[in-house]
Amino acid sequence: MSSETIPFYLPQGNESELFDQAWNNQLPVMIKGPTGCGKTRFIEHMAARLKRPLYTVSCHDDLTAADLVGRHLIGDQGTFWVDGPLTRAVREGAICYLDEVVEARKDTTVVIHPLTDDRRILPIERTGETLKAPKEFMLVVSYNPGYQNILKGMKPSTRQRFVGMTFDFPAPELEQEIIQRETGIDEKTAQALVKLAAALRVLKDHDLEEAASTRLLIYAARLIKSGMDASESCLAAMAEPLTDDLETRSALMEVINISLPRS
Amino acid sequence: MTKTVSELLELVEMEEHVGNWWHTFITKHSEQHFPEAGVCLSEIQHLLGIWFRALGGDGGLEITGADATLISSRRTILQRVAGTNNKTELAWRDENALRLPPQIDCFPDSKLNRDLYLWLGALAAMEADTHEEAWFAHNQKLTLAALQQYPGLGEKYLQLVEAHLEQRTTRRWPADEIAQEQAIRRALVEPGSMDRLPPARRMPLPVPLWLHPNPPQTASMPGSELPENSRTNNARELEEVQRKQTEQAQAEDEERGLITVRMENIFSWAEHVNVDRSTEDEENEERADEVARDLDKVSISRNGKAPKTKIKFDLDLPSESEDDEIISDDMMLPEWDWKKRQLIPDHCRIIELVAKDAPALPLPDRLHKTASKLRSQFQALAPARVWHRSRPDGDEVDLDAYLRYRTDRASGCSVAADNLYRQMDAGARDLACLLLADLSLSTDTWVNNHARVLDVIQDSLYLFAESLAATGDAFGIYGFTSRKRDPIRIHAIKAFNESYNSHIRGRIEALKPGYYTRLGAGIRYSAEVLKQQGAGRRLLLILTDGKPNDLDQYEGRYGIEDTRHAIQTVRNLGFHPFCVTIDKQGNDYLPHLFGNSGYVVIHNPTELPGQLPLLYARLTAQKH
Repeated sequence: MSSETIPFYLPQGNESELFDQAWNNQLPVMIKGPTGCGKTRFIEHMAARLKRPLYTVSCHDDLTAADLVGRHLIGDQGTFWVDGPLTRAVREGAICYLDEVVEARKDTTVVIHPLTDDRRILPIERTGETLKAPKEFMLVVSYNPGYQNILKGMKPSTRQRFVGMTFDFPAPELEQEIIQRETGIDEKTAQALVKLAAALRVLKDHDLEEAASTRLLIYAARLIKSGMDASESCLAAMAEPLTDDLETRSALMEVINISLPRS
Repeated sequence: MTKTVSELLELVEMEEHVGNWWHTFITKHSEQHFPEAGVCLSEIQHLLGIWFRALGGDGGLEITGADATLISSRRTILQRVAGTNNKTELAWRDENALRLPPQIDCFPDSKLNRDLYLWLGALAAMEADTHEEAWFAHNQKLTLAALQQYPGLGEKYLQLVEAHLEQRTTRRWPADEIAQEQAIRRALVEPGSMDRLPPARRMPLPVPLWLHPNPPQTASMPGSELPENSRTNNARELEEVQRKQTEQAQAEDEERGLITVRMENIFSWAEHVNVDRSTEDEENEERADEVARDLDKVSISRNGKAPKTKIKFDLDLPSESEDDEIISDDMMLPEWDWKKRQLIPDHCRIIELVAKDAPALPLPDRLHKTASKLRSQFQALAPARVWHRSRPDGDEVDLDAYLRYRTDRASGCSVAADNLYRQMDAGARDLACLLLADLSLSTDTWVNNHARVLDVIQDSLYLFAESLAATGDAFGIYGFTSRKRDPIRIHAIKAFNESYNSHIRGRIEALKPGYYTRLGAGIRYSAEVLKQQGAGRRLLLILTDGKPNDLDQYEGRYGIEDTRHAIQTVRNLGFHPFCVTIDKQGNDYLPHLFGNSGYVVIHNPTELPGQLPLLYARLTAQKH
């Protein structure tokens, strides 16, 4: 993979070094952070930098261990075995990224555990194989703390198997640069959007359930860049996704209107 | 005789009628108010709150209406005749709240009136907790800060200034007042350009675009003079002066306005409470100062006479023989002092009590129907029942498992034909819930003709226990009440290791309204109890009827911030706090404590018993 195809990622701290070291030392990594702060992009960036293939699995309520490991399927010539993404990643020495891992069913921990201690093995019960993970293989999980139903959340025994990193929204200057690089929008607008985001992020937990993410800012910037009215773009890309309550939405619009540069 | 009375009455009515007519006429022609374009605070309170916080305002402040303040600016002859414009609702901010006029109608355009609210909110958001400047310079600084941080506000501000300047009249005023007026005008147009307000005999006209010192200085204080001179003397005094709405009993009587009503028809209504303040039942003197500062207005008179009544606020603790059995009384918990920003260790003493000789009781008859409905709902609501797959036996064939088995076999693996069934069964919930009920004196109030708040809480506890017993989840029920920091009385109603039975019902029945609500200590105690539970998920459900409060400084911001700190502690431990309240004002302060989705306000208290178990079910619902 050439360097031009490495997805853009602007480091906020030592996360890239930490990830490199974790990879060198064969340690699994756990990334925590709010929605849309760049977790997935970071993994894509790191995988490209380390020149490893990346298998991303978005976890959901019905994701079972078999979905990760693989299963037998019925074909024309009888049945055959198909590797799941985790098995494939282990075989190829790739990076396997389980996004929102707490959403997955509990039995997935059964396959995660032996891979995340020093054994680094993946027993495949169905085929009788036990795969030994090559040193290039890496398991990365992510989740958004404080996002789930109280019954969900990572078990302490599972958490203790990972090296942890906490992501947050980038610092204002970095966020502005990210928005400009991602969308090509002018500096003034990018600056205004970042300031607006800071104002709206204060409202998390009090008036809004979630903070305005960098992703939403990029959406708004894209809409503005393609010629839409700035205020309408922010309504569509920020106020609407953040709240359903009409009164809260009009309050957000008041803040949005004074934050945008006058055209 | 009867005739004379009715004639007299007619006469009085006539007079009243003319009076009313005169009042309407004269106020209409003298006041610069446009009620038809007015905007009420209640209409935009929610929006303003979000606006204020988004612009950087303190999330712990409430937004409330301010009372009218007496002013002594120059009035037009019509205003003096009408006796209007001597009061105005100013906006200011103190440590508990941002106080705004309940209604703004000073501009003929309702958009401008609305913008004025937003502008005041923006100014208040710029304000730091303490500042040293005088009102005049400070407001210019705030204006500059707001315009600089949010250039988009500029347009609103210009419109407001323009509309407001039109309303400021200076006809035939003395030179000193004109100079003062001109300084204000210039400060409005070019904020930051004037550092000092020229002194004048009278107060300047109110500036609705500015915030006032907290709370505003009133009539007898001429303009800028006081704060500037006294600052050097004593900072503390200055603070007091700015805060207190001092009221001089003998305000100047001159130029009061023409008397157009017959004196004997003026009814007056005054309230005066004579309280002995010469001794103070507080822990230390500082506290008394703080309490005094929290009051809006303190009028002190020197009549030297003994007060006629003495109000004793304290409630006595029951005698030992009457009291519940004490389990332990040596637990000490910390408390958060938000002003010092530190946790005071071992500040609250906890006494754990259990009802002595509580009789074994059956479930009250009135609850039987609801209880059985809830029980069956709880069994069927299925937080506790899920399909367990890959079982050696069960109600149905697990198709996934069977398919896997067949394909494995067909591909030549030797696999055993076991675990091919699925079974609907109780899931392991791995959940512990502690219900903490507020048993303060306020629960003694009546919600309707039949029940007190406490009765509602008791019914809620019964039904909650009935429902949870049906699910098999581990749960504990505790009640709390406090009398200052020592003691906090914790009533153990059902400990986690006890099973729900008739004795527990006896304890619920034996509950009595207690003292005050030191919520932070109650929450910290619950956290200690939850720590000892082994479950993976631990829920703390708090049942309350109002704000945290206690006899000492535990009121207003102090209580709120301590409670917030306690909740943070609970969260940091990985437990899940959730608050259920019947306080209709809950929406004002609960988001600050529990977050947007961490609480629920039950508007009709009588619905609480039925709602609480359902709420629990919803909170712990499992998707499958």
